[in-house]
Amino acid sequence: MDDIKWLQGKGKPGIKSFFQDILTRGLIDTVLMPAKNKKGNSYAWFLMNKDGFLETSDPIPPVMTIQGANILKNITKKGESWSKTAVVLRPCELRAVIELTKLEQINLENIILISFDCPGAYPLTQYISGDQTSLDQKYDSSLYTASFETERNACIMCDKFTGQGADIQLCFLGQSDDGFLISAASAKGKELLKDVNGTNEENLEIKTKKRDELLGQLQKEKNEKRQVILDRFKETIYGTDNLLNVFSACINCHNCRRACPICFCSECYFESKALYSEADNQLNRATRKNALRMPSDLLLFHLGRMNHMSISCVSCGACEDACPENIPVSLLFSLVSRDTQAVFNYDPGHSLEEPLPFVVYKNEELKEYEAHYTKRHQSACNCNTK
Amino acid sequence: MSDEKEFIPNIVYGLCAWCGTGGSETAAAHHLKYPENIKPFRVMCTGALDPVYILRALIEGADGFIVSGCHPGDCHYDSGNYRARRRIAALKSILNTLGLDSDRVWLRWVGHGEGQRLVDTAFEFNEHIKKLGPNPLKSRRDS
Repeated sequence: MDDIKWLQGKGKPGIKSFFQDILTRGLIDTVLMPAKNKKGNSYAWFLMNKDGFLETSDPIPPVMTIQGANILKNITKKGESWSKTAVVLRPCELRAVIELTKLEQINLENIILISFDCPGAYPLTQYISGDQTSLDQKYDSSLYTASFETERNACIMCDKFTGQGADIQLCFLGQSDDGFLISAASAKGKELLKDVNGTNEENLEIKTKKRDELLGQLQKEKNEKRQVILDRFKETIYGTDNLLNVFSACINCHNCRRACPICFCSECYFESKALYSEADNQLNRATRKNALRMPSDLLLFHLGRMNHMSISCVSCGACEDACPENIPVSLLFSLVSRDTQAVFNYDPGHSLEEPLPFVVYKNEELKEYEAHYTKRHQSACNCNTK
Repeated sequence: MSDEKEFIPNIVYGLCAWCGTGGSETAAAHHLKYPENIKPFRVMCTGALDPVYILRALIEGADGFIVSGCHPGDCHYDSGNYRARRRIAALKSILNTLGLDSDRVWLRWVGHGEGQRLVDTAFEFNEHIKKLGPNPLKSRRDS
């Protein structure tokens, strides 16, 4: 097994020393990962070289402040990176990176994607207003056992919590906390792993097996849980009344769009002149409906956004973290995307080879969405003979 | 006539500039009529019809939206209608999930020469929407 190695190192400091090591030995030039801020209550992303590797950097932070795919997009949108960069991403961030690569917003040249078995994350507000030291402790201790409990909707129902698809995967599940497995999935990853100072010991197979067993069981449980949560949620939002009740707190800030990694358009239709209404237009609409909620176009924004991105939605929950009104946006988008993705049998972020559904088509498909013409309509005959 | 006012639905008919509109021209040449409450909306191609137009119509006053364009394989731009079918499938799936009457959106191909088919489709959709009743979204103030 030349694509798996075991690395000794206790807990998070052990994981961090792996990055320190590959940086100082020149296996990579720079690393992109979050680091704790000075105040100690939040995280920001840093692009660091070997002399600037921060003491406070944390490859597995307990919160997702900014979706990592958004950061990588900022770096590589206009062209490839000229230094060999390792990027540490949560599985959902990784899936968004793969989607954005297909949407030609990210260039993966010279980029090594590193992901890990993600325990989940705290909701942003809970972490910032809570006691960070104890929250950190609780989080770090659950890394190897998948026992972390959170109130973050996207994480509760997450069923894709491994770094599948990354060049390098850090595997903690089912391991003792004195080390972790590193596995390489691509040529880029294997090349890096070749020079990593890991042990290739005999019991590697037992360790992988232990993880696979736990993983299989966990994935099944989590997937069932996801379906149950979404089905239950669907009952509460089904129909015009219920849906508008959910959105009634929305303040049209469009934060969900800005936080969303998949919403990459530099000029959003819903913030463009197309939706800018003159007073006359607003008054007309208000007259027609007898009253109009302001600012208008609330439902149009959400339904339109679902239309534009739900096929690539990776259920990361960045939208919900960004919502100041605590609207369950991630549940809503996950629910809708479950069905739209099923229409095209598409799994976003699964692989770079799987084409985006709106880019390709088949000559014979989706007949059930057409209204089929059967016979001449009765009224049409009557009308035309009169 | 009964006291109750008859429900006349407000329907938008999205037609592509080649086959859909062509179908309506053929219908006109044959002096075929279609219901007057159906408003044609011409776009260059069904593939250029962003589903947001459909959503906006449904939220702001339409009871139904029907889309017609070239038959598969006949698109003036080669693949626009295939893309339209994918977009409308996604839109209908969203409306269906949220319980917003996905049946108020129809997609049916109408060729340039098929005037009768266009008129039949218009009548059939009109009856269909009459049966469904007014769109609950259009009267919502908090949309």
